[in-house]
Amino acid sequence: MTNSNDPKPDRPPRRGLFSAFKEFIYGMAAHDTTRLAMKTRASMEHLFILITMGDLLGVPILPPYYSMRLLPYVVPQVATWKRRMLREKDLTDSLA
Amino acid sequence: MNAAIALILGLIVVFIGYRFYARYIDRSVMRAQADKMTPARMYMDGVDFVPTGRNVLFGYQFKSIAGAAPVIGAIMAAQWGWLPAMLWLFAGVLFIGWVHDYTSAMISVRSEGLTFGGLSYRLISPRARGILLSFIYFYLLLVVSAFGAVVAKAVVSTGEAVVGLVVLTLAGVLAGQMIYRWKRDIVLTSAVTVVIAVGGVVAGNFLPASTFLGAFAGKIWVWAAFAFLFSYLGATLPIWQFAQPVNYVSFYIIFLGLIGGMVGAFVGHPKFTLPAFTQPVIAIGPIWPMLFVTLACGAISGWHSLVSSSGTARQLERETDARPVAAGSMFAEMMLGLLALVAASVAFAGLPQFGAAMQAGGAGGVFASGLSKLLGYLGLPARVGATFAAVLIIILAITVMQLVLRFMRLATAELVGERMPAMRNVQLATLVACLLGMVLTLSGWWQYLWVLFGGANQLMASLALLVVSIWLVSQRRKATFTFIPMLFMFVTTIGALCYTSYNLLSKVSMSVAGGGELTVGAAIGNALMGVIAIFLVIAALFLAYDGSRALIRLRTSPPTEEASAPA
Repeated sequence: MTNSNDPKPDRPPRRGLFSAFKEFIYGMAAHDTTRLAMKTRASMEHLFILITMGDLLGVPILPPYYSMRLLPYVVPQVATWKRRMLREKDLTDSLA
Repeated sequence: MNAAIALILGLIVVFIGYRFYARYIDRSVMRAQADKMTPARMYMDGVDFVPTGRNVLFGYQFKSIAGAAPVIGAIMAAQWGWLPAMLWLFAGVLFIGWVHDYTSAMISVRSEGLTFGGLSYRLISPRARGILLSFIYFYLLLVVSAFGAVVAKAVVSTGEAVVGLVVLTLAGVLAGQMIYRWKRDIVLTSAVTVVIAVGGVVAGNFLPASTFLGAFAGKIWVWAAFAFLFSYLGATLPIWQFAQPVNYVSFYIIFLGLIGGMVGAFVGHPKFTLPAFTQPVIAIGPIWPMLFVTLACGAISGWHSLVSSSGTARQLERETDARPVAAGSMFAEMMLGLLALVAASVAFAGLPQFGAAMQAGGAGGVFASGLSKLLGYLGLPARVGATFAAVLIIILAITVMQLVLRFMRLATAELVGERMPAMRNVQLATLVACLLGMVLTLSGWWQYLWVLFGGANQLMASLALLVVSIWLVSQRRKATFTFIPMLFMFVTTIGALCYTSYNLLSKVSMSVAGGGELTVGAAIGNALMGVIAIFLVIAALFLAYDGSRALIRLRTSPPTEEASAPA
């Protein structure tokens, strides 16, 4: 049951001017830093998944026992990993 | 005319454009819907596709598009007088600039976050993608060369900026270490490094480059080499170690300077000392088509389509955010260009002094003088203000150079890596890009270099508008609001590139025949620039040919699924 006072999901929540200004400054100064950190994390995840799920590619890197033990840590990352891996990439992507 | 009135006029243009025209296009033509899934939400991958709030994205988009180009372009255009430059800024952003940025982002959103390479492949033809990539490579070569020239000229005219630049760079490297290695708090890191950087800028006033470099301080080649070495490091070192933290610390210098300049213009509201109109033909060429390529960013810029499609479109949380983010940033950039025009128009006693300053320090030097005058109304001593402004413009230019060299390195590997495996090497590919840029920076006449960069930039914009028009036609929507600007920009930029190319090559041929005064180096540089201009024109004509065929094909084909769906 939803409260009638809840903001509509398709509308951005209203924020004060100061908060909007803070977000703007963050966007200019530090959003790139955050994206870089996320890219670095994604690279680490790729390695981690390759090590644990290498069998899927025919590369038996870890004994299956350890792969199974690590499986719960891998599963949450599989969806985003698949999207990154399977998306067709273009050179102009790297401008961002 | 005075500075405050000029800025108020700019704000009125922003209000009209954003509130009425942009809203009409957003609602009635593009039909943006807040509840429609965007690529950021549909394909969220935690890296490129990440839903991001519109205020954050506005800052990100503005930072990505607003470099040195709106500043330098506006000052170069002031050579025709402030009025033509101001009118083009207003008309350009109102009818073309925001349309270009906003629609580039929107068609990427509606095409699963495809960037312009993929869009041209899908909408025009497979070969269009290859042509576009080669076009982009040479366009970026002109960007890096023109900005290299801006940096070199600015440092030669303001030797006090050198120490500030070096200290700022070291502060940036320190910021990288503090954030990523030592895991320090971001507030502490920012406070320490920004204070060090500002201290360096102030200290530079007491230690101009001539005191420790002697005669070398006045040599253009020394500072061009410095700029390219800096950019080489930015393009090859791990991004967290150099480019990214240096840019982070630079942001505060740039932000403080520009906000200070804007406030100073209102507080001091100095009168314009440049004439409203000088003459229809100046050294660069006639007002049409040259003004429209000299002043690119601020009015319209092709670079923005690349940023809008590759970065911003993949992070838009809602389609309705595209207007404030993409169109809003373009209007904000126009205000930056206007501030530069104001700075140039109030900096000196009159046109002769302005001309002399352009000769000595280029547009960067003029901006430093103008901004220093505006900051002076807030109490900043003129000497410190000039150094601060010089560091600001140099950093604006050099930040773009790093990014461009990084991309050129990747493009080199993609375009020739199969045939020449050595070009896949990071160091070699970057070195080649640096050397090509250096040749143009050192041997070409910098005003022509700027015009060529502007021409390539505007041609890129017209090609982006062509892709947008094709997409609109494929969706059975009104395309006149993008098609007419596309035609205008295409004809104008082809004209400007042909005119400049003719000038360059005729000078070279006269020299070869013994009638000119170019040195061998200058002849090579001018010939290279002329050939690049011709290549860009040919590539654009091929793309336009393929594009027109695609337009005709799509007009007669049945509507796509999205086009036939109810709005």
